[in-house]
Amino acid sequence: MLEDLLKKGGLAVNIAVLLKQTPDTESVIRIAGDGKSIVTDDLKWIINPYDEFAVEVALRLKEKHGGSVVIVSWGPQRVVESIRTALAMGADSGVLIDDEALEGSDSLGVAKALAAAVQELNPDIVLCGSRAVDYDEGQRGAMVAELLGWPHLALGVAVDSDGSKVQIDRPIEGGKVAAEADLPAVATLGGSHAVWNPRYASLPGIMKAKKKPLANKKLADLGVDPSECGAGAAKIRVTALEMPPERAAGRIINGDLDTAGKARELVRALHEEAKVI
Amino acid sequence: MKLLADERDIKFVLYEQLHVEELCKYPAYSDFSQELFDMVIDQAEKLAEKELYPANKLGDQQGCRFEDGVVRAPEAFHKAYRHYCEGGWLAIADPPEVGGQGLPFVVANAALEFFSAANWALIMYPGLTHGAARLLQKYGTPRLQNIYMYKMFSGEWGGTMCLTEPGAGSDVGNLTTRAVRNADGTYAIQGQKIFISSGMHDLTENIVHMVLARIEGAPRGTRGISIFLVPRLRVDENGNLVENDVVCSGIEHKMGIHGSATCSLNFGENGNCVGYLMGQENKGMRIMFDMMNEARLFVGMQGLGHASAAYLHALQYAKERLQGAPVERMKDAAAPRVPIIDHPDVRRMLMFMKSSTEAMRAMLHLAAYCIDRERVAESEEERELFQGHVDLLIPICKSVGSDLGFRVCETAIQVYGGYGFISEYPVEQFLRDCKIASLYEGTNGIQALDLIGRKLTMKRGQLIKNALKTTREMLIKFRKNFRLNELAQIYEEAEENLVQVTKFFALKSMTDEFHVPVLYAKPYLDLFGDVVMGFVLLWQAHIADRRLQEIYRDHNAKDEKAQKRLIQENRSAAFYFGKIASAQFFINQVLTQAAGKARGIMNNDKSPLEVPVDGFVLG
Repeated sequence: MLEDLLKKGGLAVNIAVLLKQTPDTESVIRIAGDGKSIVTDDLKWIINPYDEFAVEVALRLKEKHGGSVVIVSWGPQRVVESIRTALAMGADSGVLIDDEALEGSDSLGVAKALAAAVQELNPDIVLCGSRAVDYDEGQRGAMVAELLGWPHLALGVAVDSDGSKVQIDRPIEGGKVAAEADLPAVATLGGSHAVWNPRYASLPGIMKAKKKPLANKKLADLGVDPSECGAGAAKIRVTALEMPPERAAGRIINGDLDTAGKARELVRALHEEAKVI
Repeated sequence: MKLLADERDIKFVLYEQLHVEELCKYPAYSDFSQELFDMVIDQAEKLAEKELYPANKLGDQQGCRFEDGVVRAPEAFHKAYRHYCEGGWLAIADPPEVGGQGLPFVVANAALEFFSAANWALIMYPGLTHGAARLLQKYGTPRLQNIYMYKMFSGEWGGTMCLTEPGAGSDVGNLTTRAVRNADGTYAIQGQKIFISSGMHDLTENIVHMVLARIEGAPRGTRGISIFLVPRLRVDENGNLVENDVVCSGIEHKMGIHGSATCSLNFGENGNCVGYLMGQENKGMRIMFDMMNEARLFVGMQGLGHASAAYLHALQYAKERLQGAPVERMKDAAAPRVPIIDHPDVRRMLMFMKSSTEAMRAMLHLAAYCIDRERVAESEEERELFQGHVDLLIPICKSVGSDLGFRVCETAIQVYGGYGFISEYPVEQFLRDCKIASLYEGTNGIQALDLIGRKLTMKRGQLIKNALKTTREMLIKFRKNFRLNELAQIYEEAEENLVQVTKFFALKSMTDEFHVPVLYAKPYLDLFGDVVMGFVLLWQAHIADRRLQEIYRDHNAKDEKAQKRLIQENRSAAFYFGKIASAQFFINQVLTQAAGKARGIMNNDKSPLEVPVDGFVLG
């Protein structure tokens, strides 16, 4: 352990990544008959891309400083594949909170379960995406931090830690903020795929992942009262889902006109028809 | 929507049709599970989408460059190739002892479908390397394996197969490359090879060639051919890499797969090219045949990959492109424009593409699955049965995969209309890239000869007898579903047509009209392909119908109206309905032609042979 510290030039950090499984961004989404949920049969599921950034950050911190990475997620058994994918990328272990009582939870209900799991794992840093690509509530990280009484560094596009503190950069209008907090702390990730370039799970990684520990937990195992989660406890209700309006067909300016003529026609159409200039 | 391969359909083939998860009960695959197969396939798709496909068009546009004896692969290929090798994808189904993952062959094949759809020109490099590495694994000495093989399976070094020469293409027995025994047991190689895929490039530091050559004094023809390992850089006794007198004299400018370097190679121009014998002297052709099944399946997968990507691109285009009024309001100028998928002619083309692609997918993965069953067989009898299925299927997979794959690409262009013809859209590249698949790895004419000359006669016709026994047993099951009875009837008639032509060939081959089977070998192979594809689709319809009825029951959809609504709302129901539709379309539109095709062959029309050359045209 001491050798590790000397070699890595810092303190090892133990990291928990809160990972949500979401429908594949390439999936064709359909609204269910109730108008408030989506059709999920035969849907393809992936790691929420922002949480995948968090996995990448966690693995980079581990490579730099040593330590461990545990993946914490919730949902039915199909979520196992997403956790295993994160393990295949290089994370060490996983926890899945699979409890029917969680069904219909709002963000706070989920955060309670996650915070309880984190407390048990006792990591130095909690990382997750700043948002999820499904319902885009953007509350998970902040709520878990609040429930734990830990600081929350939001929307990081660069993250580092020396083992006693965690630092992030956050882009702001016209510049950036550098902020830090003492550990333990929660940091949520912003940025994009191009910023983080999360690694691919390699085949040897996939083979190793199947042997890494993955624990299934019920709310009771975590000391959470099921009545605090689930649809009954939800304070936020989704009232409707709506598809974006269908795009109207584009219009091509008459090809017989010369360039100047096309430009004139374009200006006229933008002015008189679209009324944007 | 992802546009490379239909993951849902792949998983249907793997788990609902072939039940590949049951392979895990065999010791060789007991470490694995369906969950793990899914992860492998998902990651393959991700890599294909994010790294391989973005480099596809760039590779086509930039192509390979030949400057001062050096060949440069497209710049965009380097990063994608690195990701591919680092992920361990080159050796998915190879044993852990050589650095592979030991996964079932059929799972590797499913991953390959995504890769081949994404960027075939790129996948040629590791594909050729893999073939050469496998040959070394099977026929090389431990010393050569230690030096060269592991670096090939990891993709650090490349590999090729060097068969073709200016005067020896399909007629490989005519080759002139020479090998002269050296005192130390190695051979001095001298000769020229052309059309060598991945023959020289800058993706790897070194390239290991497998070269067909004739040892001095060996018999003429194919019986005197041996195979040699000839590295571009050889490892000398001090472990240093030194030049081995292998020079690239140029690259071809091709219709497609521009990113794949097709090289002319000169071996031993300066008398300093060392080769190491693989296996025994003069056994080169036997070794080639041994490696051939996997190589030919690989090329069939190329056709499937292009077809799959072409179909999905055309489908998306047809859903978005607004053009024309609905058919029932054709003369109404005020009618709203509709997406072209609403036009019956476009629908028909899409169904042709869908059913053909799904049929090829099922056929090719079935062949891969049979390779697995051959590997894990628990008795010699079982092993022979599956080996027979593989041997019979391979020429069909290669030929139909490439030819029908090309037709699907062609139809994709037709769906796009004029836009499909311009390079702004991807489908014209799919078509150009696909064409080579019917030519290399044995032209499709050679495949047909392999089918009638070798496969039908092997073990006194036992291969086709075993295949028919299997299909007939399964047909009894399909027949029990009254909704599929009519399709099963058409299938059975087509199968009978195939049997009749097979008997016709057997009789003709014993007479002085033995030219006739040779003349019509290719139409026979095509007919065979139709029957195989009709069978796998009927099999799928049998499974899909059961699932669909279950969904109807679960949702209490008893009448036609409720069922119609359900297939609009329920994704699984739509999928299974689509599967049955594929079988219906293919069997009704393609398989019904079997009788005509059989008649065309059995009419014994020898005019193509009898017409004098001047009768083709007076020159």
